Amino acid sequence: MTGYILKRLLSAIPVLFGITVIVFLIMALIPGDPATAILGSYATPENVEKLNRDLGLDKPLVAQYFIWLGNMLQGDFGQSFALNRPVIDEVLERFNATLILAGTAFVLCSVFGILAGVVSAAKQYGLADKGITFAVLLGISIPSFFLGMMMILIFGVNLRWLPVSGMYAIYGGGDLPDLISHLIMPALALAVVATGVVARLSRSAMLEVLRQDFIRTARAKGVSERGVIWRHALKAAMVSIIPVLGIQAGFVLSGAVYIEMVFQWPGVGRMLVDAILKRDILLVQGGVVFVAACYVLFNILVDVAQSLLDPRIKT
Amino acid sequence: MSAFFRLLARNRLALWGGIVLVLVVFLALITPLLPLADPDVTDTANRFLPPFSEGAFLGTDHLGRDLLSRLMWGTRLSLAVGFSAAVAAATIGAAIGIVAGFYGGRTDNVIMRGVDMLMAFPYILLALAIVAALGPGLMNALIAVAAVNVPFFARNIRGITVGIAHKEFVDAARLAGMGNGRIILTEILPNVVPVIVIAMSTTIGWMILETAGLSFLGLGSQPPQADLGSMLGEARSALITNPHTSVVPGVMILVIVMSINLLGDGVRDALDPRLKSGALSRPMPATLVDRRSVPEAGKGDGILALQDLETQFHVKDRVYKAVGGVSLTVHPGECLGIIGESGSGKSVTALSVMSLVASPPGVITGGAVRYKGEDLIGAPYAKLRSLRGDRVAYIFQDPLATLHPLYKVGDQLVEAIGCHHDVSSAEARSRAIDLLKSVRIPNAESRVDSYPHEMSGGMRQRVGIAMALANEPDVIIADEPTTALDVTVQAQILALLDDLRKARGLAIVFITHDFGVVAQLCDRVAVMYAGRIVEEGPTGAVLATPAHPYTKRLIACVPELGEGRRELAAIPGLPPVVDKLPEGCAFAERCHKARNDCRRGNIPLEGPAEEARRVRCLYPENERMAEAVSS
Repeated sequence: MTGYILKRLLSAIPVLFGITVIVFLIMALIPGDPATAILGSYATPENVEKLNRDLGLDKPLVAQYFIWLGNMLQGDFGQSFALNRPVIDEVLERFNATLILAGTAFVLCSVFGILAGVVSAAKQYGLADKGITFAVLLGISIPSFFLGMMMILIFGVNLRWLPVSGMYAIYGGGDLPDLISHLIMPALALAVVATGVVARLSRSAMLEVLRQDFIRTARAKGVSERGVIWRHALKAAMVSIIPVLGIQAGFVLSGAVYIEMVFQWPGVGRMLVDAILKRDILLVQGGVVFVAACYVLFNILVDVAQSLLDPRIKT
Repeated sequence: MSAFFRLLARNRLALWGGIVLVLVVFLALITPLLPLADPDVTDTANRFLPPFSEGAFLGTDHLGRDLLSRLMWGTRLSLAVGFSAAVAAATIGAAIGIVAGFYGGRTDNVIMRGVDMLMAFPYILLALAIVAALGPGLMNALIAVAAVNVPFFARNIRGITVGIAHKEFVDAARLAGMGNGRIILTEILPNVVPVIVIAMSTTIGWMILETAGLSFLGLGSQPPQADLGSMLGEARSALITNPHTSVVPGVMILVIVMSINLLGDGVRDALDPRLKSGALSRPMPATLVDRRSVPEAGKGDGILALQDLETQFHVKDRVYKAVGGVSLTVHPGECLGIIGESGSGKSVTALSVMSLVASPPGVITGGAVRYKGEDLIGAPYAKLRSLRGDRVAYIFQDPLATLHPLYKVGDQLVEAIGCHHDVSSAEARSRAIDLLKSVRIPNAESRVDSYPHEMSGGMRQRVGIAMALANEPDVIIADEPTTALDVTVQAQILALLDDLRKARGLAIVFITHDFGVVAQLCDRVAVMYAGRIVEEGPTGAVLATPAHPYTKRLIACVPELGEGRRELAAIPGLPPVVDKLPEGCAFAERCHKARNDCRRGNIPLEGPAEEARRVRCLYPENERMAEAVSS
């Protein structure tokens, strides 16, 4: 198993490399003089020249890339001019908040998505199936930012059950219950679409598996219907559900940007939008590379989970 | 094509989705012609008018602009942007996919690596990076959304193209001297267009959502121009005081995306042939039972007795009579063979015993299955479950498909025991090892921890037998257990079953299409054809002097030692389709002895009173039977 994890880690290196190339190329699309774009139109010529030297913008593109990559490998993602602090510090701080939000949403969408899919498949064409199918359709069609706004309106403003913005109360907050009460609405709003996608796929994966011969074998053995569904069918269906969970992890991680805007959550997504509007290019660059790299590493975890589930995968 | 639209129209949700979508698109198209207020004229005196105000049906926004007008213009813009993004992504993605799939080799490798890299990004993040470089704006948002969806199309279309690129008609075009460009345009493209359309129908909703999302963040359309997303974004600051300004555009996005999704699902379902036959239905725990009457209990001599069993498959309006009135009895220690071609209903008969026929579409429509005199058809599920695997066990064909691929064989044996006996896990495990030893699996102690895919076909079949023996059942129903195995392994398995029968007094129902196997193992044999038994009797007698022409022809198909192996298909013609069974004898069409009266009425299964042989034929091949039948 250790060998397999190592192998997967090694195979992630070219992907990570590719990600930096893509981000670098996208940033090379910036029209006009990058230094002016980065520093804004009020930059003094000295500042522009200094930045050009720092970024190596006077050098050829390939050299620029390797300078940038080399700096990043040493943990130097550059300096955010708008915030006047190192990019990496800001990203790490914000990523923490995003991780709490997206992680919670990921757990919610996995648990409820699979649960709904299994129940839906087990009661195919029944009332529960129809109800779940409709809810799923609604869930994958509603824009998460609109859903979040409606939640604020109903549960925050009208019913006054939950706080409507931020991660902690400004006065006297900071403990876990405070965090949870702030987390409930954004995490739910973020999880809804992903839950719908997972539920849909789980349902069809379960229906596919329930027709297999080994399910009939289980029934012929006298396994209870509950055992057939949860032990036999779900385990086999997980083989096709797990990759979708990996995709949904990327969805909640990046889709968090909308929710962070709606709920004023101090995460990476909101930081990126602010940075884009302020043309704080180095912050965008650093943030995107960092989050994408984390996602690639997470997908290795997904592969490992898959290999633990399915002995047919060579490890 | 018309069949496709009929299927689509039958799906009521998809129909509604389609109607709503057409309506929204139509209204968006004629928006410039409608008598609406100018969407960009501000009127600060009339800010935040509530809906249904005079002159403003949906009220006004924070600058006093007419919301209805802005909604219609915003919808128009959102639809246009979403649709353009989908077309752009589909065109570029398809082009990349076709090139990669058609040229293959290094071109394919390089392109697909790049696509994989792009797919490694969480994709809203990638869209943000592109907007960051290009700067906020609706056109840039469109480019970003299209760009992040290109890999999806490229990968899908490449897969399809690879399949087509090696088809005969492409080779033919190449031999005809067509250039690659022309082959792509005239041979490949027409075949991938349907796939592109389907992929678009499933992604266009997403693209509308994503562009709306970017606009919502302030990165898409810039004031005063507004799509639905930026309307929602602008309304956010007034969410608490004037929620209607948020609800109006939000609900519109929901309506559009939902109707597209409904329609898209309908299109996919209508194109997916598996759903047409209802094959994706989940089989229920026990076969459906729909019997008019229950036959009286017979003399009750056998441990398992089937009486006039009828099992059908109901698919849409068609009724397939897979089993049409089968009566069989098996005694303890006896082996009964059921033989017939594939499709003769022998497996369905076997599965009906414990109500294991997949339902839907299977329905047991008549007869009874008596275990020790008690009818199991329509018995409560709890009763069936307590007998399944405990008193009546199955051995199935193809153990690679019939064993669970993700559990160790030992665990599957332990489960079989645990279903019916309350034993500790250590005890169950040692019992599992004993079972593996009893079916002569070498190194049972280590094999118990193997997964099915780590074993050979013969070993897996032994595991299947061990599982059937786990609870020392009274009856084993073996459904072609040796068909997938080579001859030496087959002989070993048969010898094993025979030993077990003699040692434990098992009753075995052995289903096969191989008379050689029947001769080796079975005391009695029943020959099935088109869902009915056509001949039954002691194996030796039936083999020596077959009475039914079908049996005779079947036996003639069995190869003699030293001759080549011939197949049963040596009988000319095919068995009848069981949804349109002919009157009279089902074999008449293929029978050289058939006369006119063979094609009339119901031919009974009968034989001489003093012998245990019966035949369903008016003109049997053997004289004693012929006498009995004609009397």
